[in-house]
Amino acid sequence: MPHIEFASVVNALILGLSIASIWLIAAIGLTIIYGTVGVINMAHGEFIMLGAYTSYMLQSVFGLPFLLCIPASFIVVAAIGVVIERGLIRYLYNRPLDTLLATWGVSLVLMQGVRIIFGSDPKYIAVPEIFQSNVEFGFVNLSVLRIFIFGVTAAVVAGTVYLFYRTRFGMQVRAVMQNKEMAASFGIDADRVYMTTFAIGAGLAGIAGCLFGVLAIVLPTMGTAYVVQAFLVVVVGGGTLVGSVAASGLTGELQSIFAMISNDTFARFLLYVLIVVFLRFRPRGLFAVAKARR
Amino acid sequence: MTQNLFHNKTAQWTVYVVFFICLAAVPSFVSDGFLLNQFATYGVYAMLALSISLCWGFGGILNLGQGIAFGLAAYGMAMTMQMQSQDASNPLPPFMANNSLDHLPFFWEPFWSTGFGIVLALLVPTLFYVIFGSLMFRARVSGPFIAIMTLAMLSALYTLILDMQPYTNGVNGISPPAALQIFGTEIDPYSTKAYWTVVALLLLTTVAAKLLTQSKFGLVIQALRGDPERVRFLGYDVAFYETVIYTVSGLIAAIAGCLWVMLVQYVSPAQLDVNFSITMVIWAGIGGRLSLLGAILGALMIQGGQSYLGDQFLNTWLLLLGGFFILVVRFLPRGLAGLLEKVLGMMAGRQRRDPDAIAPPRVVGAPAK
Amino acid sequence: MDITRRKILKGSTLAAAAAAAPHLWLPTSREAWGATLKKGEPIKVGLLFSLTGQLAVPEEDSTLVMQYAIEEINKNGGIAGHEIKPIIIDAKSDFNVYSEKAKELIMREKVIALFGCYTSASRKAILPIVMQQNSLLYYPTCYEGAECSQNTICTGPLANQHSKDLIPFMVKNFGKKCFFVGSNYVWPKESNKNAKLWLQNAGGELLGEEYIPLGSSEFGPVLNKIREAKPNFIFSTVVGASDIAFHKQFKQEGFKVDAMPIASLTTGEIETKAMGADVGAGHFLSAPYFQTLENPTNAKFVENFLKSKYGKNGSTHYNMEETYLSAYVFKYGLEKALKKTGNIEEVTSRMIRDVSGGIRVEDDVSPEGLIWIDGDNFNTWLKPKIGQCQADGSFKTVYQASEHVAPDPYSIYPNSGKCTADGLVAPDGKVRKNVI
Repeated sequence: MPHIEFASVVNALILGLSIASIWLIAAIGLTIIYGTVGVINMAHGEFIMLGAYTSYMLQSVFGLPFLLCIPASFIVVAAIGVVIERGLIRYLYNRPLDTLLATWGVSLVLMQGVRIIFGSDPKYIAVPEIFQSNVEFGFVNLSVLRIFIFGVTAAVVAGTVYLFYRTRFGMQVRAVMQNKEMAASFGIDADRVYMTTFAIGAGLAGIAGCLFGVLAIVLPTMGTAYVVQAFLVVVVGGGTLVGSVAASGLTGELQSIFAMISNDTFARFLLYVLIVVFLRFRPRGLFAVAKARR
Repeated sequence: MTQNLFHNKTAQWTVYVVFFICLAAVPSFVSDGFLLNQFATYGVYAMLALSISLCWGFGGILNLGQGIAFGLAAYGMAMTMQMQSQDASNPLPPFMANNSLDHLPFFWEPFWSTGFGIVLALLVPTLFYVIFGSLMFRARVSGPFIAIMTLAMLSALYTLILDMQPYTNGVNGISPPAALQIFGTEIDPYSTKAYWTVVALLLLTTVAAKLLTQSKFGLVIQALRGDPERVRFLGYDVAFYETVIYTVSGLIAAIAGCLWVMLVQYVSPAQLDVNFSITMVIWAGIGGRLSLLGAILGALMIQGGQSYLGDQFLNTWLLLLGGFFILVVRFLPRGLAGLLEKVLGMMAGRQRRDPDAIAPPRVVGAPAK
Repeated sequence: MDITRRKILKGSTLAAAAAAAPHLWLPTSREAWGATLKKGEPIKVGLLFSLTGQLAVPEEDSTLVMQYAIEEINKNGGIAGHEIKPIIIDAKSDFNVYSEKAKELIMREKVIALFGCYTSASRKAILPIVMQQNSLLYYPTCYEGAECSQNTICTGPLANQHSKDLIPFMVKNFGKKCFFVGSNYVWPKESNKNAKLWLQNAGGELLGEEYIPLGSSEFGPVLNKIREAKPNFIFSTVVGASDIAFHKQFKQEGFKVDAMPIASLTTGEIETKAMGADVGAGHFLSAPYFQTLENPTNAKFVENFLKSKYGKNGSTHYNMEETYLSAYVFKYGLEKALKKTGNIEEVTSRMIRDVSGGIRVEDDVSPEGLIWIDGDNFNTWLKPKIGQCQADGSFKTVYQASEHVAPDPYSIYPNSGKCTADGLVAPDGKVRKNVI
């Protein structure tokens, strides 16, 4: 093993946090949709892609500044989410594995639709100059954009926790999750709860897309790169919010450390194997909710 | 009492016989090497759909990693065919020399022998499925977690093969320069011989799978799909049954992998790509995962459409395909075979079964009905 | 192969429907079918590129420029009075589709030549069928070499040509210490083997070598390693979407282009345009062609192409130019073969390839200036140029080789032998055909 310096370990750990926040923001919408509604949404990557294209369009056509593009992406993609939920997903709530097939169809349509409208050449999202710089504390180096993404992720997590655990809507969601019939008998409109949750999940993917468009590239196929990772996070976390936070933290740090001591490709291989081994011992994820058998 | 013809065993076997007679008749009408090769490739896809139907449709195990068996077997076959082009004076496949290897790696040695190579190509994935399957099922992993575990395993192997460039030629894969030599003859991929090989093996695997599903073993498997816990309470070793059905489906996919390389003389990590494995599930889902023949026809239909309509509709093809999936899933939960079942049921005068009588596999975290 | 025999065979196909087991006496496909040209009929060629999926970014442009070149040739009288008719296929970025469609183009459509592929993996997927049917593939991009097939012609630079001038140039201008970053697949690794040689010759020092999974957009770990190694410049063979992410994150992480420029083999006009203003500026690219090359042929090419209906993506880059050249290499090859036989119906794919050695595309046609096809290995003699990216994403030529560089697919594997028109001649004198 090569000699490893303290500074590089610290840098790798900090980078791990940043990678974790990227995994988490990609996965959080999926967590909400899967955890609450039970839908396996294969079109999640395309929601991310739609978020990026929304920002691109708002910026290049209407001249919207970057910081306003983030909430705008949320709203636009959430609206698209509502349309898809009303038109398709709501008919499939009692057939969860079928949602996998149907949403795969949705992902094909979205990807090709965007390609026809915008073409297959890559686009970019312009950002304020500050996001093109970094800050240094001694030997620690951080790009402003990564700090920003970390901040947005933290805000999104905080907002989601607040929404699901501190509001009336959140209580309704949790009631429906536990027992739909019982919740309905207390006058909760489960259909509406599902629709709203799906829309929020889609909207959060839109935010992720807006950020990834800056970090990497805007392409019709960009979503596919994130969807498998997002799924792994959700499943390792057991479909709960706290589970996804822990799972992305773990995988982000592991990826960063493995990449430091070996290389990126091998790091990925190790990560996949670890996930398989992990699921062998905790088949329902880190923080699985104990389910009552009926 | 009139019975739905769809559930009549004699009728089912008749349809199978007719289907295979049609397949067998193809070379009498087609002499074009390209078409024979293309139809044979469809046969391989059909075999993959069959394997998915067996473990997903009948066993309730949603396997998103079927590319593991297909890909490993395809690599085994490609290594066998590659070694047929090498000889003692030139033992190293060209790509190895370019990756600074000076002698053949030990795990390539067995592939000097064609017979042994093909046995290994089938045995390695099968053993892998036995071990990986029993690991999963003993731990009582279920529902979407199986899907994700198989997916993660597939991605791990994909990454590994990509990274082991000196031994696998990385992303470029292996292209054996000549056709397969076996039993003293050459199987030209564009000949009727290759076509017959595929049809014969498709027939063999389909009949075996059909018999398996109709046996007592098959009934236990179908009970598992409904509710594994209850089957466990009845005293069955659930993990054993699940492992067996998973392995059998893996073996069928492995046979498909070997045939595929015989037909296209090429293998690359793309055979272990996540998208390809999902495509297999889509074939079975569209055709009807609860019907072996339905799944087979689903594969033929989608791949045929891809080949023949894909270039007519260049830009809109993916839109049409996606829209078609959405419609089928939305309105025909059991695929096109389910549609046939319904129609036949109506013709029988009354529907004996509630269309949702066969419950979909349970999912943890799914909302209660 | 004579026409009468094929007619009989076609007749027999019809008879086949009636006969009991005609497959027993029909000849196998390879004898019965083959590409042919007919007097007075258009010349069919196949364009096998991806218009959808991950590979669509470079390959859609290839399809467009190929259509443009064919239209241009047809407008100027075609080939000996025959029009070229392209059959356009979308390979969907799926290697299975490449393989299937190559078969369809060669065996059903009976095209005389294929133009296609961007990645080596797709080329390897279709080579078995191309070689078996003795067809002809024009592969219009850069690649690693180490291949000696008798059915391909390549118009892009090989690994031995590509970085030959770039590395000494960077060492001379920025310093000896270098760091290699590449996508994790065959071409970057082979390119780096060549680059290591040039680096050694120039007295440079290699500080590290890292490979990123294809399609990955996470460059944090690699940039941390680079920060610690403190090289004078980075040599990059990162491709596609990853390349754009690499340049963006390079800037976002606070690296300065003046202190540590990236010298790339891939970052062309499409990439710099997609990065956004300023991100690409100051970095270097080695390629035989830039859109801004100053010569009358290129000025005309850029102007006419961009205003044609195929110029919708708004730029011309090295990969497109190499594709454009391949159309002319094909035209000249077919004309040469025709001169030899006198009858277009006797020209086969193999014959075109056999006479293609030495074909020159003069600087009144070739936007990058004179090139010619090597008579042994059928790759291209060309002049790699070094360009520096400007703030608007275009490239300024800062260096140009004085002489053409010879393509040598086995330059770093002298023990494998020498590639000739008939096959790979091993040091022991044995000749092996179709070494892929």
